[in-house]
Amino acid sequence: MSSPLLEVKDLQVTVGEENKVLLDGLNLTVNPGETHVLMGHNGAGKSTLMSALMGDPRYTVTRGQILFRGQDITHETADVRARAGMFLSFQTPEEIPGITLESFLRTAQAAVTGKPVKVMKFRHELAAQMDALNMDPAYADRYLNVGFSGGEKKKAEILQLLMLKPALALLDETDSGLDVDAVKTVASGIKAYHNESNALIIITHNAKILEGLQVDYVHVLDDARIVRTGNGALVGEIIEEGFAALKEDEAE
Amino acid sequence: MRAFETEKTEVAEVDRSIYDIKDAANAAFEVNSGLTPEIVEKISEEKHDPEWMRLFRLKALETYNKMPVQNWGPSIEGLDMSNIVTYVRPNTEMRGKWSEVPDDIKNTFERLGIPQAERASLAGVGAQYDSEVVYHNVKAEVAAQGVVYTDMESALTGPYAEMVRKHFMKLVPPTDHKFAALHGAVWSGGSFVYVPAGVHVDIPLQSYFRLNARGAGQFEHTLIIVDKGAYLHFIEGCSAPKYNVANLHAGCVEIFVGEGARVRYSTIENWSKNMYNLNTKRAKVEKGGTIEWVSGSFGSHTSCLYPMSILQGEGARMEFTGITFAGAGQDLDTGAKVVHAAPHTTSHISTKSIARDGGISNFRSSVVVLPGAEGSKSSVSCESLMLDDRSRSDTIPEMDIRCDAVDVGHEAKIGRISEDAIFYLMSRGISEEDARALIVGGFAEPIAKELPLEYAVEMNNLIHLEMKGSIG
Amino acid sequence: MNTKMNRLPVPTWNHLGVNFAPAAAALPQVPADGWGTANATAAVPAGIRTNGPASEIFDTFAESGMGMAADAFLAANANVKGHIAVGEGAAIETPAVLEVKLDEGHPYALSYLTIDAAKNSALTVVQVLRGDAENGVAASLVRINAAEGAHVKLVQVQLLGSNARRWGAVAIQQAEGSHVEQVRIELGGKVSACGTRTLQDHNKSEYDLDAVYFGRDNDVLDYNDVSVQIGRDTLCEMHTAGVLTGNADKILRGTVDFRRGAKRGVGHESEDVLLFSPTARNRTAPLILCGEEEVEGQHAASVGRLDESKLYYLRSRGLSESQARRLMVDARFAPAIEKIPLEELRTEVRETVARRLDDEQLDG
Repeated sequence: MSSPLLEVKDLQVTVGEENKVLLDGLNLTVNPGETHVLMGHNGAGKSTLMSALMGDPRYTVTRGQILFRGQDITHETADVRARAGMFLSFQTPEEIPGITLESFLRTAQAAVTGKPVKVMKFRHELAAQMDALNMDPAYADRYLNVGFSGGEKKKAEILQLLMLKPALALLDETDSGLDVDAVKTVASGIKAYHNESNALIIITHNAKILEGLQVDYVHVLDDARIVRTGNGALVGEIIEEGFAALKEDEAE
Repeated sequence: MRAFETEKTEVAEVDRSIYDIKDAANAAFEVNSGLTPEIVEKISEEKHDPEWMRLFRLKALETYNKMPVQNWGPSIEGLDMSNIVTYVRPNTEMRGKWSEVPDDIKNTFERLGIPQAERASLAGVGAQYDSEVVYHNVKAEVAAQGVVYTDMESALTGPYAEMVRKHFMKLVPPTDHKFAALHGAVWSGGSFVYVPAGVHVDIPLQSYFRLNARGAGQFEHTLIIVDKGAYLHFIEGCSAPKYNVANLHAGCVEIFVGEGARVRYSTIENWSKNMYNLNTKRAKVEKGGTIEWVSGSFGSHTSCLYPMSILQGEGARMEFTGITFAGAGQDLDTGAKVVHAAPHTTSHISTKSIARDGGISNFRSSVVVLPGAEGSKSSVSCESLMLDDRSRSDTIPEMDIRCDAVDVGHEAKIGRISEDAIFYLMSRGISEEDARALIVGGFAEPIAKELPLEYAVEMNNLIHLEMKGSIG
Repeated sequence: MNTKMNRLPVPTWNHLGVNFAPAAAALPQVPADGWGTANATAAVPAGIRTNGPASEIFDTFAESGMGMAADAFLAANANVKGHIAVGEGAAIETPAVLEVKLDEGHPYALSYLTIDAAKNSALTVVQVLRGDAENGVAASLVRINAAEGAHVKLVQVQLLGSNARRWGAVAIQQAEGSHVEQVRIELGGKVSACGTRTLQDHNKSEYDLDAVYFGRDNDVLDYNDVSVQIGRDTLCEMHTAGVLTGNADKILRGTVDFRRGAKRGVGHESEDVLLFSPTARNRTAPLILCGEEEVEGQHAASVGRLDESKLYYLRSRGLSESQARRLMVDARFAPAIEKIPLEELRTEVRETVARRLDDEQLDG
């Protein structure tokens, strides 16, 4: 039994000058090899949790701790977390003019590995991964996410996941806005990434992206905390019956 | 450090050759610290000017003494206008020693990887080194195509003397502004280029090779005449910081673009941060011709730089791509001017300004469409990036449209680096400092793309250097 | 009067002639026998006070876009003075309508109007200038003091004939959360020189300007609009559309001035100029001055003829050239005209524009 990859302890997160509380008393443990799914209605705090885990400066951790591989990273900046092995697939990835996708990935790979990138090997790998994701190779020379369609942006996020090989991947609605074929491609990309030594936390409203993945835990967020944790079967239950039914269950 | 010891000996030699006449002139300075006809006569005599040039200088001096300093734009109070002669004729004591070159410049040479011999030369304390050889080789290579590429002084008396006389300061008359008048009176050094009709010059000509010529880099005059259907790419300066103890640069560039000809004029300017860069550049474009300006301004204390294009012939075109990056203590006022003087002429101005660490980076432009220039098109787009709240960036464009059948557009934007973009890059393992530098580099990318590769790389390095320590 | 008015807040090349108003737009000479009386009417709804002295605040008020000297001249020479005040929390729906009309017997109307909108109040003031007189003068200085949360709408409609001259200075001071909307419609006069300056030195204030002008013959039009954004979260929208025919000569200066500390300030300005004559002259100087990092500033200008392909498209649908032209001008003027709160006046403005378009021998 290996030690946990991620431990979130009694996390309280606030936003803005008025310190609005978005997460309160949240606990979560993720071990290598696991796949966790976060569910909950809009505004329940799912994306906030992802952003807070990645160190988004808009959010403030006012209580609790985030441990990654046993290290306290609660107040580390995003680049430190990324170099430690965390990765967030953004719901709306930023457009950065003037930097090509390829040169960005090389810079990022060098940053997270701490080693210079071997150009030929990198190019081969990039071409292969883009091919696997059905991405036009021309995108490598385009500016990062600039003018990409919603689907292309999501694929570019998964491409980054595959190239950077983090230990923990946080996928924030990576399937939203994608057509059926693109969801399949992205799902196969996630599957290709996942192995026994890394872990996934996925926010989704759609079971399709989970196809081929063994979901170990499903967490339902409501009212700034996790209100229920179940196994993979819970996903189907929620998608079919909605959160309301779930709440009634709780009330009983 | 041994290399510099050798350089120092050479410095002494150069000094002597420049100041051969200094004793005679010094007496005059003490009597009158203004610029006198005697001083100008002396310069003329020393340079063996033809008679017309001697008279031209004296006339320009009259204009200079009559004209007021401009009442708009950045302050040039730091210039001692009542003692302008010290800029024209620096005393020997003012002559630089390597030990007096500011440390930040030495460090920048180091970080940009400028070769040792070149460093001393760029800092104005070394002799010309082997660039002279390169220059001669280039000269020989283009001469085979019938291209004339020579220094201005020899052009004045050589086989192209008449051509020079016909064009010299005809585009930028000394009456243009006070520093153009000063230039007319005391100009020294620079290049003359003539490209005959139909000749496509394959290699870019670089004035950089000649910048170490004495006097050059301060009041140098560049005259470029490109005949019908010919092509030339001329590159001025380099991205290494140039240091000059006399901190006034009032150069002048005149470009005549013949029918159907195309000229690209690229500059990456990185004067040391004590320099007042009051340079004047102008091109006149005949029917169907094209002028392309690529301009990067990084250095100097104060800059006023607005390359102007006069679209004289039908269908003439201009394109201006510029970037200005102002840091602590800098006031860089840059932009472009265009006059549409013929039908169906086109201008396209695209600029980026960056201000950080208390620097001022202003964009200024004027687009004039004269009556009768129907069917002309002009578009101006400028984007400014503010990197902190201690800096300034003003956008001051002007359009004067005196013809109805035109299509004139203008767009400007100002803002800062998006915090979300920084977080996104940081979430991929890139430090905040590098993330900012990457974003600023990306902002500058459209300009870098227009530059020859080695210049683009140097510009990128420069941006990274400028961005170092931009956080906290 | 010899004063440099409508100054560009940051000067540029002198030879362009945009640094201040040309001599042709200089303020009028005081006639030997004074300005006489003006033909002025006012319709003020209940809830608005017009009596009583204006608050002291107007004695040391911020300058207008025309500048302090022009303001002083207009205040000192006014032959129509008005003060409008609305009390705290009062929202007056009916607009106050102030009208001046020039004729040979009353060729001069110089008005000085102060508007004092108390905390959380709301009011609309409509100023109408009409009529004509040889060398007539229809000038106005309006000072608006918008207190915290106040909403003031100033609608200026100038329908003068082609012999009169017009000067219009507006100075605004905005407190926190205030919102000032200005509509400026300048359709006549051989001189039309206006300048608004709003001082947004408190947080969350908003200023909107929708301006329209129509220059013809040898008209001289000269405008200078400035928003000074100092407070946090301030917003400024300045949008102008114009038509120039004949030998009309127009300068528009529009400046968004972000001062340090104007965090999250937003300023947008635009101008769309239609040229209907090869001898009209249009000068535009849209400035963004910026001393703050966290702002969003934008300006856009477009100058030229009507788009030929659009004109062709409309004609292919059966519209005559003049109908098509009118449609395109209407489209540009609509945002300002639609803000006029009086149906009749709206119609009058639309018809005036149509008539002036038809009057012109347009070279298209």
